[in-house]
Amino acid sequence: MPSPRSQRAVIVLFGALGSAVFLYLAARRLDFSAVAATWRTAQPLPWVAFAVVCYIAGHLVRGLRLRVLVRRETALPWLTATNIVVIGYASNNVFPARLGELVRAGVLVERTGMPFGEALTITFIERLLDGMAILVVLVGAAAFSMHADTIDQVAKLAAILFGGALLVVVIGVLVPNVLLGLASRLTAPLGATWRDRALRITTHIINGGACLRDPRTALAVSLLSVVVWVLEASMFVCVLPAFGLPLRFPLGALAMSVTNLGILVPSTPGYIGPFHYFCQQTLMTQGIPATQALAYAVLVHLAFYVPVTAWGAAAILRYGVEIGRTVAAARAARTAPAGKTVDGVPVHFIAHVEPAHVTAEPGELMIALAEAFLPPCEPRAARDVAAFMEGQIAALPPSLRTMFHMGMTFFRFTVRLRHVSSFCGMPVERRREIVDAWAFGRIALLRQLFRPVRSLAVLAYYERPEVIRALAPPDSRPHLAVVGGP
Amino acid sequence: MSTERVDVLVIGSGAGGAVTALELASAGRGVCVLEEGARHELAQYGAGSVEAMQRLYRRRGMTPITGRVPIGYVEGACLGGSTEINSGFWHRTPREVLLRYKSQFDLQNASPEELDPHFEWAEQRLHVSLRGSAWPKSTQVFSRGIEAMGWSGQEVPRAASGCEDTNTCATGCPKGAKQGMSRAILPDAERAGARILTGCRARMLLTSKRRVTGVLAEIEHGTGAREMIRIDADHVFVCAGPTETPALLRRSGIKYHVGETLRIHPMLKVVARFPERIDAHESVLPLIQVKEFWPEVSLGGGFFTPGHLAMMLSDNWLATRGEMANFRNMAAYYVAVRGTGDGHVRPSRVGDATTHLRYDLSEEDHINLSHGLARLATLLLAAGAEEVFPTVHGIPTIRTEIEAIRWLDERLPRAGLSLTTVHAFSTCPIGERQDRCAANSFGKVFRWDNLYVNDASMLPDSPGVNPQGTVMALARRNALRFKDTAS
Repeated sequence: MPSPRSQRAVIVLFGALGSAVFLYLAARRLDFSAVAATWRTAQPLPWVAFAVVCYIAGHLVRGLRLRVLVRRETALPWLTATNIVVIGYASNNVFPARLGELVRAGVLVERTGMPFGEALTITFIERLLDGMAILVVLVGAAAFSMHADTIDQVAKLAAILFGGALLVVVIGVLVPNVLLGLASRLTAPLGATWRDRALRITTHIINGGACLRDPRTALAVSLLSVVVWVLEASMFVCVLPAFGLPLRFPLGALAMSVTNLGILVPSTPGYIGPFHYFCQQTLMTQGIPATQALAYAVLVHLAFYVPVTAWGAAAILRYGVEIGRTVAAARAARTAPAGKTVDGVPVHFIAHVEPAHVTAEPGELMIALAEAFLPPCEPRAARDVAAFMEGQIAALPPSLRTMFHMGMTFFRFTVRLRHVSSFCGMPVERRREIVDAWAFGRIALLRQLFRPVRSLAVLAYYERPEVIRALAPPDSRPHLAVVGGP
Repeated sequence: MSTERVDVLVIGSGAGGAVTALELASAGRGVCVLEEGARHELAQYGAGSVEAMQRLYRRRGMTPITGRVPIGYVEGACLGGSTEINSGFWHRTPREVLLRYKSQFDLQNASPEELDPHFEWAEQRLHVSLRGSAWPKSTQVFSRGIEAMGWSGQEVPRAASGCEDTNTCATGCPKGAKQGMSRAILPDAERAGARILTGCRARMLLTSKRRVTGVLAEIEHGTGAREMIRIDADHVFVCAGPTETPALLRRSGIKYHVGETLRIHPMLKVVARFPERIDAHESVLPLIQVKEFWPEVSLGGGFFTPGHLAMMLSDNWLATRGEMANFRNMAAYYVAVRGTGDGHVRPSRVGDATTHLRYDLSEEDHINLSHGLARLATLLLAAGAEEVFPTVHGIPTIRTEIEAIRWLDERLPRAGLSLTTVHAFSTCPIGERQDRCAANSFGKVFRWDNLYVNDASMLPDSPGVNPQGTVMALARRNALRFKDTAS
């Protein structure tokens, strides 16, 4: 068996060969001076910017679709789901032979903990949905475009390919026991270990497809897929006027559909070659000159390649740093010298940790807020209450604490604008009026902002013994009223 | 205990961790318990809410659950965990709930009959009993209302025999009547040989292939100095509670079905003002619960101090602050619903090792809360209350049955709801259904050879009652199973 290194070399060589062939096909018999002239007269802005916006919007919808697909297994935040998708695309741009699909499944595994087989199945389902949606867009666009035999053939081939795959998936989704039985029977002669392994993988695949068993989910992801590819088609459409081509949706949609079906062919990173060839050939079927079509394909490819690769790199960096920190901590922990006991428990010392910084003194804002929430009271009481509030707010989880501080900055800024005076410098009566309007007003978001401080202020104040005494003087207190019984 | 490794490492000392430690130490295993919070003597208990929040509660009681309707949530972070600050109410898991665990999660060996011995064991240890003496006034008026409505209600047994009405359940019982884990279980575990490290927070599990080899933890010494240490262990039980157990597992890269299914009992509190003195601030909280509408809705009584009263009135403070002067005639009650919304737990990616909780109230929850308020307010008015003050912005007061009953047909305004909860669970559900559980029926985490969860996080779904009994019974069952099967 060849080594992994030589396997990688074969993949790269095979991809490079594919790219070279397609680049040759696209560029043969081409007048390069005409291509250069087309580029010189091109007006990329603002059209490329619009195209990039459409492409990014498409990725956000892809993220939403992934979120829906994995909903049974995990509550994936939208941004994380989108990052996973983008990492897959960016990896396809830098690795050959669509290896990005494996990277995408791998990141999904890392973020959710789901088995790799299940993650790969979900990635496969996404691609299948993409194929079907592209086919829908292609058929729709072809209906409004000049007839071309090549496009008919592409559509028929895609229909057979994706239709067949869809049939297999539908069977797997609707009658999973058939798949399980098949896996069991086929691997039975190999022994219990292999059969168990095969059944485990089959179960993961079935679980991956289980999301489609719910008709509403199936419908939702299908519709989202169409939206994704309409947005991608819009990207292609937006670039048309940059080369003086008509801003016609069917033309861009046709180019997008055929190009994306074409780049299923494994090639070098970023589909250089197949992308340009299929895009150019599609436009040529619609009567656009070869030079103009190739120039257009180059620009669309850049809009397709650059933003998502940059985004993907940033996402990989972020997750990489996070994973790296964990791995580094674990490695440092493992290599710690054996050592001592703490209360009879054997422990290994790793490092000293900085003591947590605790603020004991309340800030100016918290004192001003406490005074505004409380009835007239001793400055000492207001200060104690404010110190409690300060400590409690500091104990909030960082994200909520940041939101609180941002909200309070907005509050102070707005008060200063409106009253031409700082909140903390106002007389307490004026502060009370303002706080009453914000904390108990009609806007729920503002009430939420003030909810922690108002609750903490009144809790701390009415827990004070002198306040309770003032509310219910001791001499008026009867003994505990306990009468009756269970 | 070997000089290099711990035999069984238990992370957390609450209802699950304490029971695990006791059973395994009693069986001769070398047990070490890590507890993030501090050990407190009885004399340090019973301080005011302000001090108790700083001493006994996780993040000083500031662990809100975010979502479309934010929900206040608190849990203990001290030796004994939340059992030190809860009401001590005791429920066995209802039969119907166990059957659902079986049918929905394929939870094995957890029928009522199989759990009975574990409940009996726990009840004996915690001296679970009814009050046995006269009810306090806040309970009496509630009972009067239940009788007037003709509903079924019952006094709930408590793990607090000899309660002296100090009204300090939420701040630690200074009389030692309430049987928190630090009093009822952990001393015996220590006598049996368990070691307890307090002020020690597990940051990450260290893994190798399919095994957990130990834990990376941060320990605070008495001097205030802090160290990062590694503790090697042969077996690890994570019992850090419903929020910290999944957070720790996820931080350690163990994520499959972990922290995905946070379930809670959302609660809406109300305050009622009666013509007579109640003095709820000087007695134990109301002891009766209405189960007429269970499992969807339960009605009961809440902790009451002037400070808590002010918090409850603060949603409509401009209209209700004058009521503070009547605090001696007031008592707090609640509507709790089963909780059918979706929630999750995630370790925070920024700042220190905090945990982010999210729960989205379902439409069913919303309806049940509205119906619950209608019924609770009707009951309290029937009991003689002059006014009922719900913790809902825009509804400062309910004075008549007609005003109360409208919430059977209308929905409470979502944006005005001030909800709280003290019951969270189900973040690492157990059962044989690998497609929805994190661990098998006995808490052994799938795909790991020596890792277990054994606290409220393991409950497959909402139990519909105070979860402490269920947690203790299942934890003991799991610990005994481990004792019998693990090498």
